[in-house]
Amino acid sequence: MSKRILVVEDQEDNRRILRDLLTSADYEMMEAENGEEALVAVAKQRPDLILMDIQLPILDGYEATRRIKADPTLKDVPIIAITAIALSGDEAKARAAGCDDFVPKPYSPRELLAKIRELLR
Amino acid sequence: MQIMSALVGLVSRVPAPVHAKLLAAFLAIAMLLIMVGAVGLHVLSGVNQRTEDLIKLQRKIEAYRQVQHDTTSQLYSVSSALLTSDDLTLSSTLRQLNQFGFDVDRLAFVAKDEVELLGRFRQDYDRFVDVVTRVLELIRGGHAAEARQMQLAQAGPLADRLERLTDQLVNKAEADMVAGIEASKQAYATSQWIVIAFALSSIVLALILGYAISWSLIGPVKEIEGRLNQIAAGDFTKRVHVINQDELGILAANVNRMCEELGRLYQQLEAASKHKSQFLANMSHELRTPLNAILGYTELIVDGIYGETPDKMQSVLKRIESNGRHLLGLINDILDLSKIEAGQLVLALDDYSLKDVVYGVCSAVEPLANEKKLKFKVEVPPTLPSGRGDERRLTQVLLNLVGNAIKFTDTGEVAIKASVADGAFTIAVRDTGPGISPADQAKLFQEFQQADNSITRKKGGTGLGLAISKRIIELHGGRIWVESSAGHGSTFAFTLPVAIEAQARPA
Repeated sequence: MSKRILVVEDQEDNRRILRDLLTSADYEMMEAENGEEALVAVAKQRPDLILMDIQLPILDGYEATRRIKADPTLKDVPIIAITAIALSGDEAKARAAGCDDFVPKPYSPRELLAKIRELLR
Repeated sequence: MQIMSALVGLVSRVPAPVHAKLLAAFLAIAMLLIMVGAVGLHVLSGVNQRTEDLIKLQRKIEAYRQVQHDTTSQLYSVSSALLTSDDLTLSSTLRQLNQFGFDVDRLAFVAKDEVELLGRFRQDYDRFVDVVTRVLELIRGGHAAEARQMQLAQAGPLADRLERLTDQLVNKAEADMVAGIEASKQAYATSQWIVIAFALSSIVLALILGYAISWSLIGPVKEIEGRLNQIAAGDFTKRVHVINQDELGILAANVNRMCEELGRLYQQLEAASKHKSQFLANMSHELRTPLNAILGYTELIVDGIYGETPDKMQSVLKRIESNGRHLLGLINDILDLSKIEAGQLVLALDDYSLKDVVYGVCSAVEPLANEKKLKFKVEVPPTLPSGRGDERRLTQVLLNLVGNAIKFTDTGEVAIKASVADGAFTIAVRDTGPGISPADQAKLFQEFQQADNSITRKKGGTGLGLAISKRIIELHGGRIWVESSAGHGSTFAFTLPVAIEAQARPA
């Protein structure tokens, strides 16, 4: 059975790139456009991994990560933070919120896929 | 001291210009000098008066002594004349007696205060002259025995009294003289104290006045100077508090106005700078989002996610990808540089291992060196102290230097050498590239400068890498430099403190 990945991303093009990438690699993909939708989606169906954009409307990636990691049934789900502004301290902030890995934008889909495979092994 | 500061405050509050205050102070001091002079003159004239009095007394004593002497000689000549009973001698003696009476009368004008005593003397003298006249008449009448008896009974006691009276006159005058000298001494001592006290109080008053005036000027000047120092140091929050209502008060008000204006401008500038860097951050985000999509789609196409692509298209797609990455590098560098320029690049200080930084950079660039068939050497001491700084930024600097070295070297080798001495790390990147002429070396670390524009076009690069590296090293309190000569390769090196506790202020 293929693994399920939740992509939390507000930008249509980025979602499509990830969709094309993940489906071609035989992953099942769930989509959410902001933090709140992400919380609804994980409550409905538990993903095996989450790709979390940090700059999100309504509820940002840090807060969504904190809430997901606070849920005992979900805290084992690995979360990869994706942020557009790769500044010193962003990685530390993402890790403090509970993210398991950190990918600065613009990421190479190829490298991201390698990271996903490693975390799901 | 409290009284003094109150006085200084009082002088400060006087609503008059500084020159008027100074003029008033000088006038006051001049008045004090005049008063001291007047008191001195007054005392001097008193001393003069007393000296004249003493001279008068001296003359009186001399006159009385003369009277005493004359009286004694008159009495003697009378008694001897009476003994001879010679009529001619007696008549001349009587004349002399009367004449002396007139002399004593004249004396009465000199000794006004002893009129009573002199009166008694004059009375007794007249009676004496009377008695002598009667005795003379008795002698002329041939009554020698009666004359003799009268002389003994009446003239003798009168003569004794006259002698006593003259003694009294002299004694009294001498006593007056002694008292006068004593009084003069006392008066002199008193005057001396008055003059000294007056002079001293004048000095004290002048000093107090001088203190009050000078501190009412120095105090505000010091206060304003202190504030100007703070303003120069960039603190616009405090104000000068000067109570003076003179030129200094106006100056202080102007300083406050200037400080307010500067503070307002500074705030505006700060806000503008914040807006600028916010704008740059937003713009770079906005630019990177579509670029991210372009690069992502391109990579997916290259990786064959959307199906097989012909070889010809593959090479074009690779060009799109590399140009896109170059554009991304430019955007990132401009953002970095503008953040540094705005003083908003904050170093994330943490412990790091220089060894890890060097080997991390090596593993990232080794494929590039291999691709160009360059020898790649790394020299790191087996033990290095743990450093403290921004590991990511230092990696960025070293990556830039090594990347440049590989980019510009076509044959030979690139070597990285790390060392530690005197609490500072030194990292040198040496290459066997074309080298850089001294004129170009000077421009290397400025924005958008590369040694040779044709190389830039051929090799790519934003021209911002070294400018950013220089600023990052400077924020770490270090220094970056280049040693090179055209045709003999280049060595780029930087040194920085092993551990920094706070980032240096940008120059």
